[in-house]
Amino acid sequence: MLSEMGSQLIDLCSALLLLTCFAIVAQRRLAACVDLFALQSAFLAGTAALVGFLTDNHHVYVTAAMTGVVKVIVIPVVLKKVIQRLNVKRELVMNVNVPVALLICGMLVILAFFITRPIIPLGHALTRDSLAIALAIVLIGLFTMIARQKAVMQLVGFLVVENGLFLGATAATHGMPFVVELGVFFDVLVAALIAGIYTNRLQDAFDTVDTSHLTGLKE
Amino acid sequence: MTDWSVTVAAAVLVVAPLLAGGLSLAVRRPSLLHVLNLTSMGLLVLAELLITRMVLDDGPLTVLEASMYFDALSVFVLFIIGTVGLACSLYMRSYLDEQVARGVIAPNRLNLFFFLFHMFLLAMVLATTANSIGVQWVAVEATTLATTFLIAFWRRRESLEAGWKYLILCSVGISLALFGVVLVYYSSLHVLSDVGKALNVTELFPVAGQLNQHVLKLAVIFILAGYGTKVGLVLMHTWLPDAYTEAPAPVVAMLAGVLEVVAVYAILRIKMIVDYAVPSTFSGNLLLLGFASFVTAALFILVQRNYKRLFAYSSIEHMGIAMIGFGIGGTVGTFGGLFHLLNHAFAKSVAFFAAGNVHRRFRTVDISQVQGVMVAQPWTAMALLFAGLALSALPPGALFASETSIVTALTASGGGENGAVALSASSAAENGRMGLVAVFLLSAVLAFGGLIYRVTVMVWGTPQQDIVRGEAWTAGHVPMVLLIAALVGFGFVLPPPLRELLGRATNLLLLR
Repeated sequence: MLSEMGSQLIDLCSALLLLTCFAIVAQRRLAACVDLFALQSAFLAGTAALVGFLTDNHHVYVTAAMTGVVKVIVIPVVLKKVIQRLNVKRELVMNVNVPVALLICGMLVILAFFITRPIIPLGHALTRDSLAIALAIVLIGLFTMIARQKAVMQLVGFLVVENGLFLGATAATHGMPFVVELGVFFDVLVAALIAGIYTNRLQDAFDTVDTSHLTGLKE
Repeated sequence: MTDWSVTVAAAVLVVAPLLAGGLSLAVRRPSLLHVLNLTSMGLLVLAELLITRMVLDDGPLTVLEASMYFDALSVFVLFIIGTVGLACSLYMRSYLDEQVARGVIAPNRLNLFFFLFHMFLLAMVLATTANSIGVQWVAVEATTLATTFLIAFWRRRESLEAGWKYLILCSVGISLALFGVVLVYYSSLHVLSDVGKALNVTELFPVAGQLNQHVLKLAVIFILAGYGTKVGLVLMHTWLPDAYTEAPAPVVAMLAGVLEVVAVYAILRIKMIVDYAVPSTFSGNLLLLGFASFVTAALFILVQRNYKRLFAYSSIEHMGIAMIGFGIGGTVGTFGGLFHLLNHAFAKSVAFFAAGNVHRRFRTVDISQVQGVMVAQPWTAMALLFAGLALSALPPGALFASETSIVTALTASGGGENGAVALSASSAAENGRMGLVAVFLLSAVLAFGGLIYRVTVMVWGTPQQDIVRGEAWTAGHVPMVLLIAALVGFGFVLPPPLRELLGRATNLLLLR
C-alpha cells in the first residue's frame, strides 16, 4: 500500500519537474528562468528524498541534500549575480517562438516515451516511469540550448539537462555509486562557475552575451 | 617487484600532477615552474613505465582497493599521455619563455597556465586509470573544464568565442555520455548485487554476457554521441577547428595528441563490455561515424586557407580512420586502429609544434601570408614538411604502416570471427565492401593532395622582407626531432615491448 502510494508520489514529482521545463521554455525573462530552474531543482531534491525514504537508501538523502544546496541555492544565486552585472532586462531573443517551441517540446516528450518503452519494464517497480520523463527533460534541455541565444540561457539549458540526467540516475537505479554522484556534482558546480566567469568575459569583449554575435570564426 | 611498488607507482600517477598543480600556484619564478613541470612529467613517465612492466609480466591488475585498473589498453594510453606530455613540456620551455619575453603573457599569469595544464593532465590520467566508468565520465568532463581557460588563454575575442563553443558543446555532449553510463548501470541492475561497485569494469567484464541487450543498444547511441563529441567525430566536430586555431600551440598538441586518444579509450572501454552482450552493434556505428568523419574532413582539408585549421581537420580525418579500424575489428583492423592512434599523436604534436613556431615568426595563420619557411626557419620547415608527409600517410612515417593495415582489414574483412561477419555475408556485401575501400582510398588521396599542396606552399618560396631570417636551436626543437625519429623508427620496426603491448591491447578488444 505504501509503495503504491509512493510510486504515485514519485510520478507526481517527476511530472512537476517536466512541467517546470515547459515553463522555462515559455518564459521570456532571464531572471524568471533562473527562478524556475531553482524550483525544478527543488522538485528534484524532493523526488530524490522520496526515493531515499521509500527504498531506505541513505546515501540518496545525501545527494538530495546536495541538490538542495548546490542547485537550489548556490547556482541560482551565482546566475542572478551574473544577470545583474550584465544588466539584461529585455526580453529574450528567441530563434523559435513560444507556441512552436512548446509544440516541439510536446513532441520531444512523446519521442522520449517511445524510445524508452522497451526498457521500462526492466526497472524497479517504484520508479520506472520516471526514466521516460528524465529522457524527456534531457531532450527539452538540449532544445532550449539550441532555441535560445543568450549565453546565460544556454547555461540554464545545460543545467536542465543535468537535472534530467540526475532524475534518470535516481529513477533507473536508485542513485549511482556515491563517488560518481559526488564527482558529477563537483563537475556541474565547476562548470556553472566557469560558465559564469566566461559570460562576464564575453560581456567585456563583445559588449553582449548574445551568442549569435559570436561569428568571428568561420571556414 | 611487489604489490607495494605498483601501489606507489599508481599513487605517483595521480599525486605528481596534483602536487605540481598546487605548487605552481604558489611559485612565481618562471624557471622554477618549468623545473616543477618537467619533474612531475618525468615522475609520471617513470611510474607509467614501471606499471607497464608489471602489466606485461603479470597481466591486468587493480590497485588501491580496486579503484584503479590497469590493463594493456589503459597502459598503452598512459604511454601516449606520458610521451606527448613530456614532449609538450620540453616545447613549452622555449614557447612560453618567448611569449613572456614578448609580453604576450603577463609573467603573473604563467602559474595559472601551469596549474591548468597539470589539472588537465590529472584529469586525463584519472580517465585512463579509473576502474569505474562513472568516475571515468567525471574525469573526462573535468578535462573539458580544465582546458576551457587554456583554449581561451590569449583572451582575444576569437579565442573567447572558441572557448565558449568548446565549453558548451563538449559539456552537452558529455552529458549525453552520462546518460549512456546510467543506462549501462541500469542494464546491470539484475545481474550485479553490490551497488557500490556495479560500474567497475572489473565487475562488468565477467558478467557482460548477461547484461540486458535492449538497454545496452540504447546506451551505445548515447555513449558514441557523447564521447564522440570529445573525439571530434563528424556532426559533433564543430568546436574542434576553432579551438585548435585559438589555443596556444602546446595546448593544441595535448588536445590533438592526447585528449582525443583518451576519449577514444573511453569509447573502447564501453565497446569491450557491449561486444559481449550484443555483438556487432558497435562495429556498424563506428564504421558509419568513421567514414562520415574521414570523408567530410578530407573535403574540408581541400578548401582550408588557415594552416591550424588544416591540421585540425586532419585530426578529424585520422580519428575517422582509427574508428574505421576499430569498426572493422579483427586482429589487423584493431591493431591498425591502436597503432594509428599512437602515430597520429606523435605526428600531430610535431605538426602543431611547427605551426606554433611559424605562427610566432609570421604572426598569421593565413597560408597565403606564409611563404619561405625554409629560408626563415629551416628546422621548423623540415619538421613541418615531415609532419605534412606523415599526416598524408606517406612511407617515411609510421602512419603509412597503420593506415595500410586498416585498409587491408577493410579489404579482407571476411576472415574475422567478429562483427565483420555481417559485412561479408554475400557477394552483394562484397561489392559494398569494395565500394567502402574505394571511398576510403579516394578520401585518402583528397586529404593527401590538400595537405601536401598547402604545406609545400608554405615551406618553399621567399619570405616577405620584414620576416626575420634564421633560426636558433632551442629546447623546443628537441621534442620535434625525437618524435620524428620515433615516427620513422616505428615505420620500419616496432620496439619489442611496444609490439607486445599493442598485441595485448588488441587481444583485449577482440572477443574472447
